[in-house]
Amino acid sequence: MKVLVCVKQTFDTEAKIELKDGKIADAGINLIINPYDEVAVEGAIQLKEKGIAKEIVIVAAGSDKAMDAIRTALAMGADRGILVQQDTAADEFARAVALAEAIKAENPNIILAGHVAADDGSSQVPTRVAEILGLPHVNVITAVEIAGDKATCTSEADGGTQVTEVSLPAVISSQVSWNEPRYPSMKGIMAAKKKPVATAAAAAAENKVKILEFSLPPAKAAGIKLEDEPEVCATKLAEWMKNTVKVEVK
Amino acid sequence: MAANFAINNIRDFEFIIGEWLPTERVFNYPQFADYYSKDDIKSVLGPILKMCKEVIEPTNDDGENHPIKFENGKVTTPPTFGPLFHQLQSEGWGTSNIDKAPDAMVMPEMLHMAVWELIGAANPTFMPYVLLTTGAADLIQSFGDEKLKQMFLPKMMDGTWSGTMCLTEPSAGSDVGDILSRAYPTDDPRIFKIKGNKIFITAGDNDFTENIIHLYLARIEGARPGTGGISLFVVPKYWVNEDGSFSDNDFQTTGVEHKMGQAGSVTAALAAGENDGCRGWLLGNDPREHEGKGQGMAQMFQMMNLARMETGHMALSCIINAFCNARDNAKERVQGRLLTNPKAGRVAIINHEDIKRTLLMGKAHIEAIRAMMYRVYLAFDQRERDPDPEVRKAASDLIEMTTPLCKAYPSDEGWWLISEAIQSYGGYGYCEEYPVAQIARDMKIYSIWEGTNYIQSMDLVGRKMQMKGGSLFGAWVKEMVDFCEANKGNEALAKEFAILDKALKAYQEMLKVYAGYAKTNFSLVPLYSRRVLTITSQLYCGRQILDQAVLADKKAKELGADHYDYNFYSGKVASAKYYLHNVVPNVWSVCEIIADGDSSALEVPLEAFEYM
Ligand SMILES: Cc1cc2nc3c(=O)[nH]c(=O)nc-3n(C[C@H](O)[C@H](O)[C@H](O)COP(=O)(O)OP(=O)(O)OC[C@H]3O[C@@H](n4cnc5c(N)ncnc54)[C@H](O)[C@@H]3O)c2cc1C
Repeated sequence: MKVLVCVKQTFDTEAKIELKDGKIADAGINLIINPYDEVAVEGAIQLKEKGIAKEIVIVAAGSDKAMDAIRTALAMGADRGILVQQDTAADEFARAVALAEAIKAENPNIILAGHVAADDGSSQVPTRVAEILGLPHVNVITAVEIAGDKATCTSEADGGTQVTEVSLPAVISSQVSWNEPRYPSMKGIMAAKKKPVATAAAAAAENKVKILEFSLPPAKAAGIKLEDEPEVCATKLAEWMKNTVKVEVK
Repeated sequence: MAANFAINNIRDFEFIIGEWLPTERVFNYPQFADYYSKDDIKSVLGPILKMCKEVIEPTNDDGENHPIKFENGKVTTPPTFGPLFHQLQSEGWGTSNIDKAPDAMVMPEMLHMAVWELIGAANPTFMPYVLLTTGAADLIQSFGDEKLKQMFLPKMMDGTWSGTMCLTEPSAGSDVGDILSRAYPTDDPRIFKIKGNKIFITAGDNDFTENIIHLYLARIEGARPGTGGISLFVVPKYWVNEDGSFSDNDFQTTGVEHKMGQAGSVTAALAAGENDGCRGWLLGNDPREHEGKGQGMAQMFQMMNLARMETGHMALSCIINAFCNARDNAKERVQGRLLTNPKAGRVAIINHEDIKRTLLMGKAHIEAIRAMMYRVYLAFDQRERDPDPEVRKAASDLIEMTTPLCKAYPSDEGWWLISEAIQSYGGYGYCEEYPVAQIARDMKIYSIWEGTNYIQSMDLVGRKMQMKGGSLFGAWVKEMVDFCEANKGNEALAKEFAILDKALKAYQEMLKVYAGYAKTNFSLVPLYSRRVLTITSQLYCGRQILDQAVLADKKAKELGADHYDYNFYSGKVASAKYYLHNVVPNVWSVCEIIADGDSSALEVPLEAFEYM
């Protein structure tokens, strides 16, 4: 069985975001595999360890820098990679078209991905890929069992869990609680150097979304501090709530 | 929760290995060429940094909360230490990097040491289990025959077994020549019966490896007295039979020490052969066939030299983590107003002059020591693998020369430096709730074990400075003089080069005076040896950090102040300036003290100490 994992390279979640000339300044920012996708990679490796998956292919669409994300996934234990070279300004639609094109050529049995990316948080790409490829899609899974050409997925649902059975091939996107991704071993990092990574040009697709402007959240206004005897403070606070914040008491 | 791994990036390693040191040649050695390049520093160290924060840091608390216990003859280690040991060893981050097999998957030593530096900062009390296993396996690899290698190495490399070095005995500490452990011949000329007691043995027992392989010093009946007659034995806790099964080897743990720090690291007292049933494999010659001469000390020195580098490096790990924590605290802790602008209100203490100075003092020492150590680790790679015998020899000389500096300087300075990190916290630094107090307790041992820093200083002045008639040392000093000469035209760092030059001149004068003492009043040599070691290190570190500054200054100017990496480079220049202006002048001040030659400490009657 061939498992394909879609991986996005994102900013380190600890990175401080700054704007320069109206755009997000990415120079010098540490880049990592989207943590949700890392869970999908780990899920694929566990399927291989169980003898279910035979080959794990990593696909990333993005700039050449995304090669690092592919290498990390290979160091964790995936077998080979495909870098779909695409402008980082591609939106979710263009991204999904490019990925779907690469996936079609691979004809995998299972397509895994994180359910959301830590940077733009739009949660669209796996769903769009499934739609383009005409495949079923199960989202936010926390467990999966494969038997024959069926996958039984457990996913989060309001107030409980939902168990879905799908026929393969299917797109399955992971919730973080599915597993605990492993750290690449030293030998894994070395082996990754010799694993093949192909590059492909992205299928042409126009963005559907136009970004008008980026802005950082407004800086938090300084609070007010009441320094007095408790009863005086309480009175002042009540007045402030009534007159300034205009809290209505019904 | 006291422990905290506060290192948040690996930029200085990228600079050292990727930009500063001439590492290209190392990355092109056949063993590495297909796997590593200067661009791969991040792909190795990035995941390690993350693992240190997420996996290793929590085990540090475990060491404090579940310290070593010894009950009913059994040692209990902190519960997370065993799983961590197995994980790191089996995943190739530990002992297996010494594997000399042609197809071994290993990384350059300089990169491996960066991995250990980070892990050591995340949990210093865990590291000895890996370090000792590595040293012990290295001895078997160097001096064992094929049979011993097959028997022990694979399991020591993959984490199934661990290892130790057993020198110290109750009556033999600094002077190992006085050991009482004995070895008696058996029918097999390679196997001896071992009888004796060892104390202070780090990782001497544990509850997480199947076997523990002790590299044990003992004297064979009939060998010479003193260090010259000592032999080295492989003494497994459980005897390993031909089929791989175990038998009892009459090797007992009799107690563990309760220490100032390193609560998670076992320091064991061991008894071998109490019932005459302990056996060990001899490594090397039988002294009875070589005029009573044993090879044990020379062999053990291979392990000790590595352990000395690692000891200094562990001290560095502790200094770094202490100062990264101090920095984070100084950014958060609001106290006082700026003397220069009191109306601006309360500020985070990192804005105060004295705290900023403390932090830069820490950063400067860290970078200067790190520069020295990685210069030497580069030589480890060259010594091991360079095709040119001249390069290998030069590398070997550098390692010999600098080992006492790398061991003693970080471990001496670390103690007061970490005390300054504590100071920057104010009262919180003294409280166990914050990490710096524990770091101080954990790090103190590094100036003591592997030969106290006095022993290191005597190694420097008595052996290293005298090697090959002093020519090695002479060339080593001359390299620093040449460095100053070559940079005469550097305007941006002219003042700093002038300081290094002045210090070097004073140092060279001092050497003449000191050599004179060796002839006229020898007691002055050991009296001043530790201080000679300190200033020798400060000179060498000053030379290295100034070399870094030359490069960093150039890059900062090329990039300009708006570039995201500007603060890194200008910060490196600031570190070098601090080190040269505030630390290196100690060289000429100590040179004056030595020239003055005060001998009051020799003349004082011992009885005078009764009146303190
Ligand atoms: C936590 C811990 C772990 C250890 N782990 C190991 C281990 O794994 N294996 C092992 O074999 N040993 C180990 N040791 C032992 C350690 O190496 C010794 O403690 C150290 O070498 C000093 O020996 P000593 O304690 O007997 O002190 P001593 O030799 O008694 O020294 C006491 C003081 O006198 C000074 N001194 C000694 N001789 C002279 C001299 N000739 N001239 C001037 N000054 C002198 C020393 O510098 C020191 O300051 C460990 C010790 C500790 C505390």
